Amino acid sequence: MSTPEAWRDAFKEAGALAVTRPDPAKSGLALSAHMPAGSLVAAAEKLKAGGFSLLFITTADFTEGFLVTYVFDSFTEHLRMALRVLVKDKSCPEVPSLAHVYQGAEWHERESYDFYGVIFTGNPNLVPILLPGDDPIPPPHRKGPDVIASIRKLGFLGEAEWASDGWELAPAPPETKPAAGAKPAAEKPAAGAKPEAKPETEKPAAGAKPEAKPEAEKTAAGAKPAEAGKEEGK
Amino acid sequence: MSNFSFLNPFGVLDEPGTYMGDFYSHNFSKKAKEGTVILNLGPQHPSTHGVLRVLVELYGEYVMRSEPVLGYLHRSHEKMAEHKTAYGFLPNMGRVDYLNAIGWNWAYAASCEQLAGIQVPERAEYLRVISAELNRISSHLVWWGAFVLDLGAFTPILYAFDDREDLCDILQRVTGSRLTMNYFRFGGVGADGDERFFRLIREFIPRMRERLKMYRALVTDNVILRRRLEGIGSMDADMCLRYGATGPILRAAGVRRDVRKAIPYGIYDRFDYEIPVADRCDNFGRYWVRVEEIEQSLRIVEQAVAQIPEGKHIVDKAPKPAWKIPAGESVFSVEGARGEISVHVISDGGKSPYRVKLRAPGFSNLALFAEAAEGTLLADAIATLGSLDLVIPEIDR
Amino acid sequence: MELSNISISGLIILVIACLLVIALMVVNAIVMVYAERKGAGFIQRRPGPYEVGPWGTLQPVVDSMKLLGKQIFVPSNVDFFLFFAAPVLAFFPVLLLFLPIPFGPFLTALKVPDGIVLILAFAGFGLLANLLAGYASNNKYGVLGAGRAVSQGVAYEIPMILALLAVVFQTGSMNLSEIVEAQGRWPWSWNILCQPLAFFIYLVTLVAETNRAPFDLPEGESELTAGFHTEYSGMGFALFFLAEYANMLLVSFVCATFFLGGYKGPVLDGFWWTFIKAYLVMMFIVWIRWTFPRVRFDQLLNINWKWLLPLSILNLWITAVVVNFIGK
Repeated sequence: MSTPEAWRDAFKEAGALAVTRPDPAKSGLALSAHMPAGSLVAAAEKLKAGGFSLLFITTADFTEGFLVTYVFDSFTEHLRMALRVLVKDKSCPEVPSLAHVYQGAEWHERESYDFYGVIFTGNPNLVPILLPGDDPIPPPHRKGPDVIASIRKLGFLGEAEWASDGWELAPAPPETKPAAGAKPAAEKPAAGAKPEAKPETEKPAAGAKPEAKPEAEKTAAGAKPAEAGKEEGK
Repeated sequence: MSNFSFLNPFGVLDEPGTYMGDFYSHNFSKKAKEGTVILNLGPQHPSTHGVLRVLVELYGEYVMRSEPVLGYLHRSHEKMAEHKTAYGFLPNMGRVDYLNAIGWNWAYAASCEQLAGIQVPERAEYLRVISAELNRISSHLVWWGAFVLDLGAFTPILYAFDDREDLCDILQRVTGSRLTMNYFRFGGVGADGDERFFRLIREFIPRMRERLKMYRALVTDNVILRRRLEGIGSMDADMCLRYGATGPILRAAGVRRDVRKAIPYGIYDRFDYEIPVADRCDNFGRYWVRVEEIEQSLRIVEQAVAQIPEGKHIVDKAPKPAWKIPAGESVFSVEGARGEISVHVISDGGKSPYRVKLRAPGFSNLALFAEAAEGTLLADAIATLGSLDLVIPEIDR
Repeated sequence: MELSNISISGLIILVIACLLVIALMVVNAIVMVYAERKGAGFIQRRPGPYEVGPWGTLQPVVDSMKLLGKQIFVPSNVDFFLFFAAPVLAFFPVLLLFLPIPFGPFLTALKVPDGIVLILAFAGFGLLANLLAGYASNNKYGVLGAGRAVSQGVAYEIPMILALLAVVFQTGSMNLSEIVEAQGRWPWSWNILCQPLAFFIYLVTLVAETNRAPFDLPEGESELTAGFHTEYSGMGFALFFLAEYANMLLVSFVCATFFLGGYKGPVLDGFWWTFIKAYLVMMFIVWIRWTFPRVRFDQLLNINWKWLLPLSILNLWITAVVVNFIGK
């Protein structure tokens, strides 16, 4: 099966929480499926049986938790898909390991473990890979409270083509926060009109962005939102 | 080395992340077999291509187990991305893998351009292709020289560097550097090529073809080299799939996968070139694929230089240094000399990218060394390591 | 030679010969280092040494001064005596091996009827030295290199002996001077023409016995950092180096004596011919070092046991048959 629709259905069957269809021209991904931690291995096994290879695993730190992204592609055709797992508990972040399905995942997981401290249960060799093992430092890529962003507010995951109830990463509804500077005027006028823009990863040109951009959360307040609005229009 | 500390129990706990004594690995917590010797190849070693340490457990000359240990060259590029501006991170891309700097330049610049919807002018696209393919040739030449040096042939590397001098001179004219090139900008390239640049390329191509003939006759067809490489270091398509290995390793396993043809980026679909695919999964297959790729890259450069239109080398109103990447997420892949280079950018619209993941092809390629070298002779393991075309800076980032 | 046969003049000649041979070995090392580096540069399209002295000729001298001045590191836990004995053992026995060689018609230090046996017997000392060096270094690379050196050295001695034995059969004597005398002045009367196979086998084993590329696995640089001499620096390393060049010179002299006519030449017989021929063989060895990749260890042993040994036995058998029926 090699169409995004077929895989969407396959992931739904495997227990996905949501499946989004980012715009491949902007994001390079055809499909993005959000799995609960328990269904990850099953989905990965399906992908392996379908001839897909795990290209890389990356983790990013958000307020909701760690978003672990697994990017797959097939060597015989081009269908780049991402599986995502949200790890909410940052003090003890655990995700099942794919090392038994894809042996290459072992090293990628070790890298995420190094940078974020995510523990991949079942990884046969979860020791530091890039950071010095004999002089451990706290996971360096975790974001401090002043720079951390929220996935929902960022909305970069876009609208889901299909989402189960209670998908916690559904984009946050637009808020009207009066005290955050010149937001609405500088933003694109189609601020509230999210859905007809393609359910893609957020592009400012489409303007499908909730108000509370991280501009408001960033320390670079003031004139920044206006500039950002201008530059995003490029 | 000279201490036998591996015989002492070093308080092995089954918790992840415990420091495993000298060996940094759970896999080496006990010996696989009696009478073996655990040896460190590296991190200072003439043939590990950088600062790589490979633990091997040898039974005589046979490698029972091996494990690469990384991290000696970790420079936290991904963390740097979160503190530099998007524009300011471009020079880092030249340092991640200095032998294939243009490939990394392209992956990052195009990832941001893709996210922002910036269109690159045609002349800039041609310049990108020309510089990328010349860079690929130069990277393969270094690999080739170093590989046969590992096998004991001391001379070809100097010939390869002779050719590479010409290439560095050519690329220096447009990029300004010979090695860690920072050539791409968002919306185009940094500088236009002048008349001398194109003339040098036109003179270089036939010279390189002559040299390739000599290399084939003297090195590729040398019986000692063939006997060292043929049938050794089997990495078949299934192994590549399990490890995510791409590039010449995959093509030598018989899988016709090249990002330039599979996901055509830039203007690669305008050129007529082939993808060398070998059906043998051994060291010689990988050797042959890379040498043939040099020839195919020469073809692409020839066509590009003939077809290049007039125009600007960067888009009008190109992003200035203070440009912020629009919020969103973008993955972009290019075909680097070693495999598929992917840059995954998550941006929150702020000054710096929120998260930049640099997917180095070498990282996945090296992961399959342990499985491929099991049971082979030490000399063969070294040859296999060389055939993977590793550049540790990109693996460690 | 019984004790009563030793004459004072013979002893004096021996002592002078030893001193001259030491001088020869040292001068040879200096010349060969320069020749090798210039030869390598020529093959690799670069100049080689050219800064120190006219055309870089002082480079080896300066290098040896540097090596003399280096600090000698002794790793911990080495076997002290063996560690220091190994380079000495590598270098000094080679001295002995030069004595039976007929440099000129009257320039043989030790006229013994079984000169070749003396040479072949003591050639094994070099192997012992390599083994001791690797073992005593307390270094796994050293042990691997030493193991390889012993396997390789022991293996390649056999076809070497058999190839030389074929010439001995043909000549009917083991005395090196007689072997040279049996050859003529012109190249077509040298043994290379009647024993081409033996010559070829001897060339291959010559390279293997001196641990030169493509058979330099014991010191395989790209695999074992430096094999059995990893832990040696300064003078220890210099002694190994000297020993290697001295060995090369020795086997080249033997080659010149057995196959290339020794001191006989078209124009004037004399010791210069021996030197010219030996150095031609040396330049050939240098040439192939920089041209071929290294042979893998099991392939190296295969070449020996599966090819060289049967070929040399065949050669010996044919020689024996021919000599028996035709006589020489």
